[in-house]
Amino acid sequence: MSNDTGSPGVKRRDFLKVLGAAGATAGAVGCSSEKVGKLIPYLVSPDETVPGVSTYYATTCRECSAGCGLIAETRDGRTIKLEGNPEHPLNRGALCARGQSALQGLYNPDRLRGPMVKENGAWKAIEWDAALSLLSQKLAGARGTAANAVFINQHESGSFPAFLDAWLAGYGMRPHLSVDFEADSAAIEANRRSYGVAWPRLSFADAKLIVSFGADFLETWGLSVPQQLDFADARAKLAGAPRFVYIGPRRSLTGLNADQWIACKPGSELAIANALAGKTSIADAAQQSGVAETTLQRLQQEMAQARPVMALAGTRGPNALDVALAVAALNQANGAVGTTIRPAEPVTGFEGISRFGELAAAVERMRAGQVPVAFVRGANPAYALPASARFADAFGKVPFKVSFSLYPDETTELCDLVLPDLHSLESWGDAEVGRGMVSLQQPAMDPVFAGTRATADVLMQVALKEPANAARYPQKDYRSWLIQRFPGGMSAFTSALVKGVGPGAVAPRTAPAGAPATLAAASPIDSTKGDFYLVVYPSPVLGDGRGANKPWLQELPDPVSKVLWSSWVELHPETAYRLGIDRGDIVEVSTAAGKVRAPAYLYLGIRPDTVAVALGQGHSSVAKLDQFEPKHTDPKVVQWGYGRYARNIGVRAQDLLGIAGDAAGGLALVSTRASISRTGDSEPLISTEGSARQHGRGIAQAIPLSELGRSPRGDEGGVAAIAAEGDAKAPKEGAEHIPGEPPTAFLPGLRSPVAADAQGELGSPTSKDQGKLKGMYAPDHWSGMAERRWAMTIDLARCTGCSACVTACYAENNIPTVGAPWQNATIWADAKAGFNIVRGREMNWIRLERYFEGADDAKFTEDFEARFVPMLCQHCGNAPCEPVCPVYATYHAPDGLNVQVYNRCVGTRYCSNNCPYKVRYFNWFGYGEPDRKQYAFPSPLDWQLNPDVTVRTKGVMEKCSFCVQRIREAETRVKTEGRALVADEFTTACAQACPSRAITFGDAADPNWTVAKHVEDRRGYHVFDELNTYTAVVYLKKVNHPEPAAPAKA
Amino acid sequence: MTQRRKWAAIPGLFILAVGAVVLSAYSGASSSQGRGPVQPINFPHPRHAGAVKDGGLGLNCLYCHNAANKSSDVGMPAVSTCMGCHTIIAGQADSSKREIAKLVKYASENKPVPWERIHKVPEYVHFPHVRHINAGVTCQTCHGQVQKMQRVYQYSSLNMGWCINCHVNGYDPKEGQKAAGYDNVPPANYSGGVPYGTPGSNAGLPVRASSFTPPGMGLPRDTAAATAGATPSAQRRRARYDCASCHY
Repeated sequence: MSNDTGSPGVKRRDFLKVLGAAGATAGAVGCSSEKVGKLIPYLVSPDETVPGVSTYYATTCRECSAGCGLIAETRDGRTIKLEGNPEHPLNRGALCARGQSALQGLYNPDRLRGPMVKENGAWKAIEWDAALSLLSQKLAGARGTAANAVFINQHESGSFPAFLDAWLAGYGMRPHLSVDFEADSAAIEANRRSYGVAWPRLSFADAKLIVSFGADFLETWGLSVPQQLDFADARAKLAGAPRFVYIGPRRSLTGLNADQWIACKPGSELAIANALAGKTSIADAAQQSGVAETTLQRLQQEMAQARPVMALAGTRGPNALDVALAVAALNQANGAVGTTIRPAEPVTGFEGISRFGELAAAVERMRAGQVPVAFVRGANPAYALPASARFADAFGKVPFKVSFSLYPDETTELCDLVLPDLHSLESWGDAEVGRGMVSLQQPAMDPVFAGTRATADVLMQVALKEPANAARYPQKDYRSWLIQRFPGGMSAFTSALVKGVGPGAVAPRTAPAGAPATLAAASPIDSTKGDFYLVVYPSPVLGDGRGANKPWLQELPDPVSKVLWSSWVELHPETAYRLGIDRGDIVEVSTAAGKVRAPAYLYLGIRPDTVAVALGQGHSSVAKLDQFEPKHTDPKVVQWGYGRYARNIGVRAQDLLGIAGDAAGGLALVSTRASISRTGDSEPLISTEGSARQHGRGIAQAIPLSELGRSPRGDEGGVAAIAAEGDAKAPKEGAEHIPGEPPTAFLPGLRSPVAADAQGELGSPTSKDQGKLKGMYAPDHWSGMAERRWAMTIDLARCTGCSACVTACYAENNIPTVGAPWQNATIWADAKAGFNIVRGREMNWIRLERYFEGADDAKFTEDFEARFVPMLCQHCGNAPCEPVCPVYATYHAPDGLNVQVYNRCVGTRYCSNNCPYKVRYFNWFGYGEPDRKQYAFPSPLDWQLNPDVTVRTKGVMEKCSFCVQRIREAETRVKTEGRALVADEFTTACAQACPSRAITFGDAADPNWTVAKHVEDRRGYHVFDELNTYTAVVYLKKVNHPEPAAPAKA
Repeated sequence: MTQRRKWAAIPGLFILAVGAVVLSAYSGASSSQGRGPVQPINFPHPRHAGAVKDGGLGLNCLYCHNAANKSSDVGMPAVSTCMGCHTIIAGQADSSKREIAKLVKYASENKPVPWERIHKVPEYVHFPHVRHINAGVTCQTCHGQVQKMQRVYQYSSLNMGWCINCHVNGYDPKEGQKAAGYDNVPPANYSGGVPYGTPGSNAGLPVRASSFTPPGMGLPRDTAAATAGATPSAQRRRARYDCASCHY
């Protein structure tokens, strides 16, 4: 999108503003109102847009260091959806929940609107000219001591770091610190030393055995989306898939995807790695780690037999670098380098990243009063650093502090001048995604707030005020600067933007990264005081806390604990019962560094001698901001403490940490022991977890590898025999009921044929009447309505439970978030975040259910399994919800959809009561009505709303629609183009986003669609098959890979 | 039931009944059909879109509302589109000059013209113009003969019954042409559209006894077929009409 319209004096921003006015008035009227609002035209119609038709821009995601490719769907000048760029080599069309939530960063209602200066402790809005003059004046004043200035930038790959260093050098300042509090410094350093690159490509598909030493590669370790795509592809090979062993004190989401968990003591991973390599004795390692000796022996044997092995290390303890090096040596010894670990195809996202130690050194320089001026952009060290680093104290000694933050975060609150940056979806940039491969970042829309400016442009404007510096910037803005250095210049740049990714190179960061400042060598964990090991880990959803101000992410249940809008302390039930702690009891965790109080979550996947707390929550502000009602809040009131959605939610796990580091200069997150105590308080845990057990319902089914090859019909064992001659529904005579296994047999495929699936008319699948009964819609109906049968398959062998589909659904279908403190029923002073969630009012049309198998008593065992099931409306052919609706608000469409008609719905909720899957959600409050306090989309969050989907009002039932708006859009498109729908031409939002490609959607009546093949898969089953609901969602069973030499279970 | 309660119940029921009657009457009259608000500029559609013999320029509707065959939204002409002609056309009559001067003022101030919206379906209805235009439905079928309206008003009720009537009974292109008021003009061939009767088009799908009865609704009355001289319903173009076609 170009910045100017070609017409002098007319800014596109102005068109968008006026266009927005039309939408704002349109929302409030019904069909009979006299006030139907205004129709506001463009001043000059932009060439590439048609009103009501989306334009797509390829750009780059900046939510983590990976640099995935984005396609930003922009409608009438506003970006409404982010999807992965299919042409991008990293994410290949997929996108994680955090990437998709970038939109709520863009439209965050708490974004800073313009530059502000702190005068006598009070913030005051100023003009850009004045702000820039002030900055250059301060820079001139700091000339003599400028070498000590500090610039802390959120790590990003691309040309900007080099640009920034050059700008800093122009003022005699040292290169900036490129920080990423999630990055695993030890793994990066070990990669450099062992493989010569910061991050090799990890080829999971080539491995026969994956051994992860605490490396959470499906979440926060490395590049989650590319790794997940690769891992899912590897696991989808079923029989040829690698077995996956996870070694660590806590089973993370990645750990839950493993076939085997080896629960070692924190810090003992090194002993295990060395023992597996044969350097030390297995017996010693077993003794140090608390793992059975036989387990380690079997793993050693398996590693010797299964080639190639892929071993990964992601421990965050004081000895993390040693572990990473030992694991790298293991890979080298096993011949994994070049096959599963590919240094020749490096991922460059982590290059140039600063060590935590360098930041800590800078903080000490600040404390010593040596730093004349400090800059912060993107990063939030005041929140992210452990309390024991006393950042605020040191930062306060800097005479002039400038923040380029978009949001009112903890660090910005301490600054003297705020120059709000543009969001990455509003600004130019680039990222290196591999050697010689550049991913471009372009604005998908004009800035939401006219008062914000791109930092790169601001830096140029400041430099241009000084003649000496001005000469170095012949270009007028950063975009021109990027184009000028892009090979091929303007025309090449423009054509590269079309795909968003192409050959090229980013400006190299010439400045040496500085001597690796190492922290004081951390003491071993065991020498600290406390009864428990403390594991602190980056949240898979909120990361290091960056995501906390986005309601989609707050509302996204943690994939492991299913807790949301809250912090929690993970304890093993065995420990908890011993201490008299129950789920939801508030426990106090204290270490030498500090203490936090949070509700307990009893988790099977943690050692009994360990407690775990996630990073990400616990944002707070210096300014005391009371409980407030955002609707009544003046948008000019700055919502310090990282905005209304993050402030005072949960606890800050960093408060428990000392500033111990590892040998690579990284912050050790698993560095101390802790003691826990009951406080006597208790609260309902804010969680969407109904039951962690299946209770024999067979919702999430799995088969062991050994039964994979067997036919589902006729053989003994495994899948119960289905009698071609007998009643398919009868359970096997005298068969023992196995928890988690289906009580009845299944037939692959969709049970109900096209258009013959209406209520009650179908008969049994073996009935002689099959095919004769036409159901509600005749297949030969003149309208052609009944030609298709929309269906979905979800492959549980691929699904990792990452929950990207959930956020995709929120984004696509205008689903309100309901957990904010003010979204309760009445004005209750003590209203807490998650009020509605506790009452089961969350609106997740698709949710990730997580069930445990095994470990049936509360005793600790390593041998249990987790199964993830995305649960959404099953679009039953014989839907229980339909006949109970007294107003026919839900009915069966001829193309197989179970439809909810919002304007017919009167809110009896009978349908929800009758739904066996609990996938219907009721609008308890006016989440979609701007003048209610429960309004879920305070402006400008409402700019994101999908115009193709109704925003539901109070008292209406809603549920997954199989993205009917996408179906209609595709139908309209093919009709307009005068052609037939092509197989796999479009898909639903969840399937599109899925980073493990587990979801397939399409027309099961047309054999050309992929889904038509998948529904016939012999692993297929319907949830609650025995209810004869004839669902349109077919799940493919998970495949378990048992330990080859495991002793037989009793 | 005690005597006293009975005396309380009878007026109560009566009030309920009256209330129901009033409500139903209100709902029937809830369309803003016929509404024609004053526009910020008294834009003469007859002068622009009217037939040449009537003193108009005969502009195609799509000249200004150019997204109608591409998008759900028709799109309002940008101010620059108006100024494309009106930089050189200042009007002859005083009334015209006055109105054009308003336009020029908007354009020179870089302000869009705040047109009063007339046609609006409720939020929970999805009406794609593109499907209808490309199926050959003339604009006038729903909007009336705007090319003859001095001030545009809401011609149709836009109520659901009105929509369904056409979806079930079908649209007759001949009637559409007649409704358009273009007596001797050949059928409008909008880009991408399939003219009526072309081989391969699904125009004039044969009617079978429909097995589909929208739950609780019954089949709408075949009103058009009852009209004398109307096209037999067998030749009418019909469209899908289950709820989820428009409501989602």
